[in-house]
Amino acid sequence: MGRTVGIDLGTTNSLVAYVDAATGQPKCIPGPYGNTLCPSVVSLDSDGSIIIGEPARKRLLTQPERTIYSVKRLMGRGLADVKEEVRLFPFRVDSASDKIIRVQLGGKSFTAPEISSFILRELKNWAEVYLSEPVDRAVITVPAYFDDAQRQATKDAGKLAGFEVLRLVNEPTAAALAYGLHEKKRGLVAVYDLGGGTFDISVLKLISTEEGDIYQVLAANGDTHLGGDDIDNLLQAFVHQQILQSDEIDFSPRGEIAQELRKELIALKHELSEIESATLRLPLPNGKIFQFEFTRGMLDALIRPVVDRTITPTKRALADAQLNAEQMDEVVLVGGTTRTPMIRRTVQEFFGRSPHTELNPDEVVALGAAVQANILERGVSNMLLLDVTPLSLGIETYGGAVGKIIPRNSPIPASAQEMYTTGVDNQTGIDIHVLQGERELAKDCRSLARFSLKVPPAPAGLPRVEVKFLIDANGILQVAARDVRTGESRQIEVRPSYGLNDAEIERMLEESIEYAEQDFAERQVIEARTEAESILMATSKALAGEQASALPAEDRAKIDAVVVALKESVAGNDYRLIRKRIDELNHATINLAEIVMNSAISTALKGKSVGEV
Amino acid sequence: MSTQAAKTNAPLVCMSCHERLQGPLVCSHCGKLQASQEADYFALFGLPRKLRIEMAGLEQKFLQLSWKLHPDNFVNATEEERELSLKRSSELNDAYRALKDPIARVEYLLAIEGERKEGEKKQQAPPELLEEVFELNESLDELREAKAAGLELDGMKERLHAAEANFGRKLVEVDTEMQATAKDWDNALDRGADEAARKKIMARLNEHLNRRSYIRNLVVSVAKELAEA
Repeated sequence: MGRTVGIDLGTTNSLVAYVDAATGQPKCIPGPYGNTLCPSVVSLDSDGSIIIGEPARKRLLTQPERTIYSVKRLMGRGLADVKEEVRLFPFRVDSASDKIIRVQLGGKSFTAPEISSFILRELKNWAEVYLSEPVDRAVITVPAYFDDAQRQATKDAGKLAGFEVLRLVNEPTAAALAYGLHEKKRGLVAVYDLGGGTFDISVLKLISTEEGDIYQVLAANGDTHLGGDDIDNLLQAFVHQQILQSDEIDFSPRGEIAQELRKELIALKHELSEIESATLRLPLPNGKIFQFEFTRGMLDALIRPVVDRTITPTKRALADAQLNAEQMDEVVLVGGTTRTPMIRRTVQEFFGRSPHTELNPDEVVALGAAVQANILERGVSNMLLLDVTPLSLGIETYGGAVGKIIPRNSPIPASAQEMYTTGVDNQTGIDIHVLQGERELAKDCRSLARFSLKVPPAPAGLPRVEVKFLIDANGILQVAARDVRTGESRQIEVRPSYGLNDAEIERMLEESIEYAEQDFAERQVIEARTEAESILMATSKALAGEQASALPAEDRAKIDAVVVALKESVAGNDYRLIRKRIDELNHATINLAEIVMNSAISTALKGKSVGEV
Repeated sequence: MSTQAAKTNAPLVCMSCHERLQGPLVCSHCGKLQASQEADYFALFGLPRKLRIEMAGLEQKFLQLSWKLHPDNFVNATEEERELSLKRSSELNDAYRALKDPIARVEYLLAIEGERKEGEKKQQAPPELLEEVFELNESLDELREAKAAGLELDGMKERLHAAEANFGRKLVEVDTEMQATAKDWDNALDRGADEAARKKIMARLNEHLNRRSYIRNLVVSVAKELAEA
């Protein structure tokens, strides 16, 4: 079994982290560009290959129609849910995607879980390279306010990426875990998490007990479609208006220029978190340059509506926890958007205390996920997370009303039993519609699943079927039914109304699995070979130099022998053997390196091998 | 599926190590989850079926049991144990949810005592409230009509606010009565009252619950109507 990691699958950026065995501390893993943030951007190259992260982000400017960002907003959603925001995206959404949204990239179409799985697979690669070990299990974070379909879609993405998803953890809960570990805080904690696309507010109680520390979530609330993206959209609309006013040309930001504008505006937004004013310069298609002086005050006024929208969920979460803002012992800020000074100020005013920002708001969720991954991997722990379901679970009743069976903020796992019978003679099925949400009418709640209970023909009212609804520790619904008279029980396959079914997942898995299994070993071989080549080259260069004549003959013979052995191993596929031979060559060339160094620079590098200098 | 005699008074032993069990969910000796015991929410927390529950103690017990039952502790366990942990921890959470809330607690007690069946909740107006409810419904109708006709609503709103406050007070009253009857129930248990006496108290509790649910619905619908006006 491979290693277990924690992953923050974000709207804008994604991260992977692990717990270092030596220090016991969580740590984010850097990618090939040295950055721990992997932009959640996926691009399909014209040759069919998939580009992920930073290089994909660059292609937003050059190939916007082949590149997708903010795919998290589409996870577990139907076309009708995202009609508004899809208008703002440069990529095309398949209009035929009724059950599950499909995005067109180049000539191909992908579902949101597939696109997310590419990002997860990239992070898996980062971790495997960094840890030099296969990584096959993960804890993935989701917004606390994600519904069942969004959670299921995230779990599907993990599966498609070749992970066993040990647990979905709520982002604010993960952040609290990272903070609790870091700051040794106890008491009541509010976590305000405003990311690229989602807002979460969680109220937790951190308790020390004999067995260890408990992180008990008392209430969670939020908005899964509220975040930095909305600020960017507001900025974009505002600037568009300004351009129209100043230039009187019909300028509508599309394609490349839209991405260029978006990039500039995001940079501007970040700048205004640090300084009071900044200038936007944008070359227009008519050759003119649009220039606009932005002040922080203007930005503040623009984002006020976004910030205001976070207050209602915050009040609701506190009310559900039967607490008020002043009772919070700590307030923690999470998510890149909380770097905005106005947001910090608003949170500070609301809670009457200055929020914690000690940990990097971009990394803190991934760090918490790593802590949870470590807990689950080891099986026993002195830490325990007790989370809640953010939305009430209900069943459609007569007249399209909703009967709540598990109220929101119930601790999970949670369950409820309902008894069903037939209304007419010889009825063979009972239709059940499961919903999530707080509204009273089914049409206003989120449809999770519809299914039909099969019953043997009998007079009306005679069949009795008990249905058990269970929300597991991931916040995902399971349904089981039992015929009360016969005692016969069966599991009901409940796939979300807006999700992939098992067959679709299997097919996608098959398509991706071939390279997945070979991935790790292959990459290791390639890397070991590259390293071998560089040390072989360095060795032959050193041996060819005139200083090498000072090398004792026996050293020379030993080096020659190891060089041959290394070259032989490079021809094969055993990366462990290649690494072993590299180590041997490093060892055999210590004297040679010293001679070269002595004559060249100084004695400061004594004791190093050729490969190291 | 187990057919062990969970409902007899014989001492229960652990399925795994056969030590005597201290509680129904988990063996305090070897830590193994128990599959067979059917426990009601009170028994699960080691409590008598009394309606006064000390909150701090309930929470402490909840956290203690969570340590033992939560699925996080069974990620590397067998499929069977994982299933069992899911089942047991959801029961624990459901139990905590029900016992924590004084109203849900009464409802649950009546359900396990067989005194309150699903779907049996009466939605008729309690007789002593009939007149006031009639008036209230009239006021609500008037408000809706006036709203539809675009008339001045202030006077009607005032009357509804008064009605809302009136029913709000009645809600407090019924809660106070419920508390008193709950105390009667606990006392009856303490002195080992006979079944007839207990049934009488439960009937009163049931009546309180129905009245409470009726008044609460009224308050909610008035508040909603006022918010929309």
